This record gives sequence, C-alpha cells and structure tokens, in this order.
Amino acid sequence: MYMQRVLITGAASWTGGNLARHLETRPDLEVFAVDDQKPRVEFTSEFQRLSLDRLTLARYVLDVRPDVVFHLQSIHPKSEHGRNTEAEERIVGSLALFGAIERLDTIRRVIVKSDTAFYGASPRNPSVLKESTRPQGTPSRFQRDLTEMERFIADAAVRQPDTAFTVLRFAPIFGPRVGNPISRYLTLPSVPTLLGFDPRLQFIHESDAIAALEHAGDHPVSGTFNIAGHGQLYLSRILRLGRRIPQPLPGRLFDGALNGLQRLNISVPDHLRGLLKHGRIVDTTEMTRTLGFEPTYTCRQTVLSAYGRQPEGER
Amino acid sequence: MTRDQLASMTKRQLLGIARDRNLRGRSTMSKADLVDALSDHKEPADTETPDVHGLGGITIPGIAPEDRAEARARRDALNERLSEFVDLDTHCDWQSAEGHPCGLPVLTNSHRCGLHGDGSIADRAIPLTGKLGFSAWPPLWRHLSLATYDIDAFGLDPVVAEMAWHLLNMLYYDYFRVEVEGIENVPMDGGAVLVANHGGAALPYDGAMLSLAVLNEAAVPRRVRVIGTEIFNMLPGVSHLYRKVGAAYATRDDARELLRRGHILGVFPEGERGFMKPVWEAYRVGRLGRGGFAELAEEASAPIVPVAIIGSEEVHPAVMVSKRLAKLVRLFFPEQRVEEIAIALNPVPLPIRWHIRFLPPVMPSKPDHHLDSLDQLERAEDVRRTIQSALDDILSRRRTAF
Repeated sequence: MYMQRVLITGAASWTGGNLARHLETRPDLEVFAVDDQKPRVEFTSEFQRLSLDRLTLARYVLDVRPDVVFHLQSIHPKSEHGRNTEAEERIVGSLALFGAIERLDTIRRVIVKSDTAFYGASPRNPSVLKESTRPQGTPSRFQRDLTEMERFIADAAVRQPDTAFTVLRFAPIFGPRVGNPISRYLTLPSVPTLLGFDPRLQFIHESDAIAALEHAGDHPVSGTFNIAGHGQLYLSRILRLGRRIPQPLPGRLFDGALNGLQRLNISVPDHLRGLLKHGRIVDTTEMTRTLGFEPTYTCRQTVLSAYGRQPEGER
Repeated sequence: MTRDQLASMTKRQLLGIARDRNLRGRSTMSKADLVDALSDHKEPADTETPDVHGLGGITIPGIAPEDRAEARARRDALNERLSEFVDLDTHCDWQSAEGHPCGLPVLTNSHRCGLHGDGSIADRAIPLTGKLGFSAWPPLWRHLSLATYDIDAFGLDPVVAEMAWHLLNMLYYDYFRVEVEGIENVPMDGGAVLVANHGGAALPYDGAMLSLAVLNEAAVPRRVRVIGTEIFNMLPGVSHLYRKVGAAYATRDDARELLRRGHILGVFPEGERGFMKPVWEAYRVGRLGRGGFAELAEEASAPIVPVAIIGSEEVHPAVMVSKRLAKLVRLFFPEQRVEEIAIALNPVPLPIRWHIRFLPPVMPSKPDHHLDSLDQLERAEDVRRTIQSALDDILSRRRTAF
C-alpha cells in the first residue's frame, strides 16, 4: 500500500505538534516534521530541526518529496509581537518553500495556516467579514505579513493549476489545552478589558482546528476559507461564562495593564489589542459549503469547554 | 370648594388653583369663566390603577393628562397583543451546563423560549415573558448575567434590545406620543428597506422611534435593523450598545447581508447632512445620498417603503451650523467626514408630538431588469419626492407641534 508522505512545517507549535500526533496514528500517512525549535508537544514521527528561514528548508523538501505539505509556521511567532527581523526572514523561508514546491511535481496539496487577523480589526470593517472582503484601516505588522504570504500562495496557485492550494484563515484557537496569547489572556482570574468597548469575538476549538487541517488534507479544494465555530459572543459574555471578573480600564491604563502582563509572560500582541477593541466576526458559509468542514463545537461550547465547564450539559 | 368660596377669591388665587389642577386654556379665561370651570372640575378618582409600566406618577411639563391616559391605554393594548405570542403555561426545556433550567415561558407553537429557540428572535422581537415592563426585568437580568444565550452575527443581544424597547417606549408613548399611519405598508415577512428623512441634530431619535413604530404597531413585532455611520463603532460606550439593540454599520456589505437574511433595513440616506439641518430647513428632504438603497433593494428584490417622520427635526432645533466646531471634531476623529456641526440650545429634547407615516412600497422591477446608475438616482428622487409630499401633507394638517 502506498503511504502518502506528509510534511509539516512549524511542528514545534501546539497546532503543528498535535497535527503530527494526530496524523501519525493513521496507517496511510508517513509524517515528516520540521521546525527550528524544540517541539512543545511530543510525537514519534521523524522530526528535523532546521532553520525555516534559509534555503535548507527548500533542500529538505526536495529530499523528502512529500505529497502533502502543511505549512503552519508560515509567519514567525515573534511577528505577532511586532519584532520583525525574524519575521522578514521567515517570509523569505516561505518564498523558498513555495519555490521548492513548484519544482516538485509530486506535491498534490498545500495547506497553509493563515489567521483571521488578515482582516485586521477596524471600526470600518463590515460586521461580517467574507473571504472576499477587502480589509479596511491601517494594517498591523502581522496583518501585512499575512497579506504578503497569501499573495505568494495566490501566485503559486496560478502557476501550478494541478496542485490544490488551500489557505485556512483560522479564528483565534481556544480550548482547555492550547496555550496561545488569547487563551492565556482570557483565562486570567481577572481580565483587563477596554472601558466602553465590548468586542464581538469568535473562536475555533482546538480539536476542531486540527480536524479542519486534516479535512483540508483529505479533501483538496483550492481557495481561501475562514475557519471558525458557529455563533459569536461578546467579550463580556465570554468572561461571564468563564466566571472571570472583568476589569474595565480606560485606553491608556488598558495598554499599561497589557504591558504589565508581558512581565508575567502573558504577552498580548498588537493585533490582539485591536481585536479587543473592535472585535471581528467572519462568515463561515464557504467553510461548510465549499470546503465541506463542519466544526463540532460552536463558539459558545468552545468557551465553556475552555473554562472547564461541560458544554454537552447545555441542552 | 363651593362656588361662593371660589367667587370670593382674587383672580390670581383662582389661576393658582387652576394651575394645580392643570386646567387647560386657563390663561385666556376671565375670572367668571375660571369660577365656572373650577367649580365644574372634579378631583380625579383615586381608584384608578397606577401605570406600572410607564413613568408612574412623574409629571412631564407640557404633556396633558389626557395624553398620559392615552399612552397608558396604548401600552396596555400593546402588552395584551404581545402576550399572545407566548404560552405562559409551558416552560422552556433548555438547561445550562450545570443543569440550571431556563425558566422562561415558551413561544406559542414552539417548545423553546425566544432565547433558546431556532433564532427567529433576530427578526421577530417577541418579549421573553410576553410583556414589556419592569416586572419582566428580573428574569431578563438573570439571563443577561448568566449569558445563557447567543447573539446574532451583527451583535443583536435580544435581552438588551428588549430592555431598551421597554425604556424607549416611555419616550414613544408618553413623551413624543408617536402617531403611526400606514403600518400595513411594512411587509410582515422577508426583507424590506425603510427609507426615512433624517433629523435630530443631537441624538438620532428618529432611528429609535422608527424601529419602535414597527415593533409597537405592526401585527407581528419585527425588528428594524437601522444602519448608522462608523462613528457609532468608534465611540466608547456607544459602540457595543448600538449593536446590542440591533443596529449595524452603514456599509454596503452589512446592508446586503441583512437583506439577504430577510431583515427589515432602516436607512436614512440623507445621512449626516440631514442630521445637521438647521431649524429653518426642517422637513425639507435633501438628496438621498447616491441612491445606493435603490440598488440594494433591487439586488435583494425587496420593496422600498418610504417613511415620512414628523418630529425628529424639531426635538433639538439647531439654531446655527458651525464649520469651526466640525474642524475641532475632526481633530479627534481625523477620519470622520464631518463638514459642519449643528448647535441646539436645549439639552433636553422638546416634547414634540411625532407623526410617522409609512407610504405605499415601491416594488422591485422584474428579475431580468438591470438598474443602471441613472435608474437608481431616478428611483431615489421619486422616493424623495414621495417623502417630501407626505411631510408637507402632515405639516399642513398639523395644528400644533406640541
């Protein structure tokens, strides 16, 4: 039986590690994982620690000759935090990777993890963002990087009509185990919020995020898709559901409080500050209709599960 | 007081008594007339039930007791009509994650209450306990603080919207005493675009009153999703409240999406220019934007319902229009397109008697017909003329503004 070869970049991240762990249980797949850091989640597949911003990655890809590429760490995590030299290099790494993909004729699917931060968080954005919506307002650094990366993919997809390029724009991933900036922020015992603003937020449950990536690997559909759970919640409601105490602070103090959190190793990157002011809701019609993916958790259930309450108890 | 006692008083004393009893027309009466009127006057009976849902015993200057009585009657009629949408004998079977029951009565012909049903609450505003009033607030607070329900994609929070509906009804019935005509022109299902003249100078009361008119008078209380400028999205405190009561942001995407979902859209295409009208231009409808509403309605094949609103342009009569103040505002909101700011002298809105007339709908043309930009502008101009002539008609019949 032919084993499909799967390459996962950014396997050190929570999502990457769990995807590798999930895919290696399947008998029809052979998993190869790369990252430049030590994995946060343990898995047994071959892991190669190499710099993602050099040509080494491209050479490795040419060696492995994968069938499916999951490009998860397309953006350097530090890019989320506004420091940008590494981010710049990582973009170059993505460029090299897409070059390698173009040279190999074995690759049939490329799945890229993007973020709904692509749309930014502007008061001028429409209430419901579709995949085709052009974002408004001044873009953050992270947003610019995402835009640039998605442009590479669009270019590559034009040149390689036989390969399915799937871009998944994930809503913030939330759940009981994932440790990303937004989940650390929301699970603080007392959460600083911006006085006078109550953003509408949307999440994807951590297990649904892995399932969405796997689904995209199994069902090749070219295109860009928003990935989020059904429904949406106001930040104040989320904190009520989690029994957390909101601390409404006026603008300057709010910024100060978030900077203070950075000392406690809970960083709130710039693009999340915009999100905590204006919120963001994406349209998921394309996700269910064209991609055919149906998340098991609604946003509400995601929040309940992340705070350790029983979402299935709610009927 | 007997007639003889009254006759022995001075005219000044009689006027004082007349003022206490709120006798109408007292200022033009002679002393003999005052004695007649005061001796006929009967003290109001104490047995009348207090108005628990309204302003209670608070008196508002300029509002006659007849108006208060009428407001109470209208409010009771509304509550009676709304109670038919809810089945008080059966309770919703929803349970929270810890097994706490919902406790609200179910909608008629359903097994769930408005909050936990199939989502029709985004379009139909049915009070959760079947009536509006402070007595309905404790269960509302409970659901609000436990966050037991979901919001819609535009941020409508049915509980906050219901509380706002109840509070604004005091303005609607008791203060502005809104009269509504032609409510049958608003369709009871599917999308529709309500196009109205804009005014207010200080606060957009007309948006609120337009939604309340449909909620209070139509056979089925449907929500009007009013769309406003982006300044509502930026202001602290306002940015989320206006979404929670069901409004949205005036962008083509939002309007299109609302119509696609079959909601009633409330638009004020005159925009900020209409809002900032000085009092001497009141009720002169300006150009209705670029006629974008005509295109939207055509795309969604939804009818356009022109609405003439009398009242909004007088509650805060703007005595002057300042360009300098606009410059100052632009310093704080550099992206805001503010050309001028209207200045009204009264901090409290005047108790104007409002009149809202819904006019016969303009139906969308045939499906294969394409509306070009000239058609759009023509249609917008037709709608503008319809609203203008309706405004002129109401104004010519009106005896007093108060």
